[in-house]
Amino acid sequence: MEKPKIRLKIGKKKLIALSIIAVVLAVLPWVVESTYLKHLIVMAFVYATLGMTFSMLYSTGLITLGAAAFYALGAYASATIVMKLGLSFWYAFPLVILICGILALAFGAILVRYPGVAFVVITLLFAHVVIDLAGQLEFFGGWGGIIRIPPPTPIGPIVFVEKITFYYLILALFLLIALIFYALYSSRIGRAWRAIKLSPKLAETLGINLYRYRLLAFIVASLAAAAVGSFYAHYFQVITPLSFGGWFSINIQLFSVLGGLEFYILGPALGAVIMTFVPEFLRVTKEVEPIITGILLLVIILFFTGGILGSIKKLPSFSRKSISDRIKKLIKMSGLTKTKY
Amino acid sequence: MAIMEVVNVTKNFGGLMAVNDVSFEVNELEILGLIGPNGAGKSTLFNIISGFYKPTKGKIIFQGKDITRLRADEIAQMGLGRTFQESTLFMQSTVFDNVFSGFHYHYQQPEWKAFLHTSGVFEEEETIKHKALEILEYMGLIDFKDELAINLPHGHQRALGICIAISTSPKLLLLDEPVTGMNPSETSIIVEKIRKLKDRGITIIVVEHDMRAVMYLCDRIVVLSYGQKIAEGLPDEIRQNKKVIEAYLGKEGVK
Repeated sequence: MEKPKIRLKIGKKKLIALSIIAVVLAVLPWVVESTYLKHLIVMAFVYATLGMTFSMLYSTGLITLGAAAFYALGAYASATIVMKLGLSFWYAFPLVILICGILALAFGAILVRYPGVAFVVITLLFAHVVIDLAGQLEFFGGWGGIIRIPPPTPIGPIVFVEKITFYYLILALFLLIALIFYALYSSRIGRAWRAIKLSPKLAETLGINLYRYRLLAFIVASLAAAAVGSFYAHYFQVITPLSFGGWFSINIQLFSVLGGLEFYILGPALGAVIMTFVPEFLRVTKEVEPIITGILLLVIILFFTGGILGSIKKLPSFSRKSISDRIKKLIKMSGLTKTKY
Repeated sequence: MAIMEVVNVTKNFGGLMAVNDVSFEVNELEILGLIGPNGAGKSTLFNIISGFYKPTKGKIIFQGKDITRLRADEIAQMGLGRTFQESTLFMQSTVFDNVFSGFHYHYQQPEWKAFLHTSGVFEEEETIKHKALEILEYMGLIDFKDELAINLPHGHQRALGICIAISTSPKLLLLDEPVTGMNPSETSIIVEKIRKLKDRGITIIVVEHDMRAVMYLCDRIVVLSYGQKIAEGLPDEIRQNKKVIEAYLGKEGVK
């Protein structure tokens, strides 16, 4: 019997797309003039990361309403360490990761034992407890929060005053996290996660320990959230319990749903970008803005199930093909390339 | 030699005796049929053996070890595979990915290397991909490998369930109604494939309602009725057994 061939899919197109994105990301803060817009871009990266943490748990079949919990823990841990112990951000950051890693292991070990609806409710409560604790304890600044959090200390000539340096810091952090997530998803760990999501029962008969893999996802997601939380505290320099409470976890979930639940990295990233900028552009409509945003979200969620990316993927292939054909024709006509298509 | 022993297993669902003091052995490389009318406790027994239910009393010995209290994934890791009655598949994955996932426990490379995508991991995955394709080829699903599992016709879904189970390299395989809902020609093909699984060193217990398939397939048969074992023997003995005929047709039917 002839051995069936397997072709390794080297994503040439993917590589080109990625390099274009890389160039755009590198020059973006130089093109954008407005400080406010720069702030929004920085926050879009923070939100994209948080959306990715929601999607990571989703990829194992868990739905969390407490995605903001470890974001808040990271921010509070970082601010407290820097201000009470007088350490710089650069020393505090690994400490925050260590502390939040231990917390994620401790809480995750209990939380992931209850998949399904129970997990949704428990994570929601967990996030509330975290926020209430921060608010009730004077040690953490009470409901007024912590103000005047120092920015990261300078590294050589790089000073953290301008938005632009923060932009590159969060960009690096985001890319690192996205890379780690991608490495996980594309390995057998990611395959095990998906197996658990698609059918926990069948996954068990394959020898997959549901508990262990879900706990791993919980810890990784929590650490990513804590990392951007720590960044946020020193970037925004003010944190209050309520900036992590209420609707915040719901919003994080929306990033993923909007972008596409089945696209664990690109989905939340796209969703976060849209949810950060669209309301701003709609701001010309003044007080009606939330209503319009809400209606837009409803329409997308109700009629474009699978999110934006999911809907694009579902487009009949002939129309996708015709678009790419047209682009190829244009390239041909432009004489930019001599390669045959 | 017995590869598995079911010893005085009883399962009580809040007063309902689903399985009542059942004992039997499975010999290495045989195909054992487990039959009985609806509600006889066959599926419950499968769930107990594969670790999804814990028995109220009794124990399961697999390859000389007591596995009664182990979790389902631990039992699977020991080499006890199973399929499900209803088509339990990774419906939103491709046929190939379904089988590829089945090898989860059989990687030699540690997980941190898998995370780092080392070349060793890459090579191992290539080998496993070949194995997955070989299994699909064997069960006649190779032409559907890029199809989503949910889009397969019912018969092919059942076959895919068996493919996934084979990919876990089981020593003992529990097949829950493997040919139910298939047409006669599909049935005869699959029955033949199941028989040949012996060549791969797989012992099989099969629950099936298609009596012709059972009689042809099985070396030995255990009959359950209302949670109790009422007969055990060669297919020809079972066919003649009065108690079995009674269980299926009722006492009136026998007169």
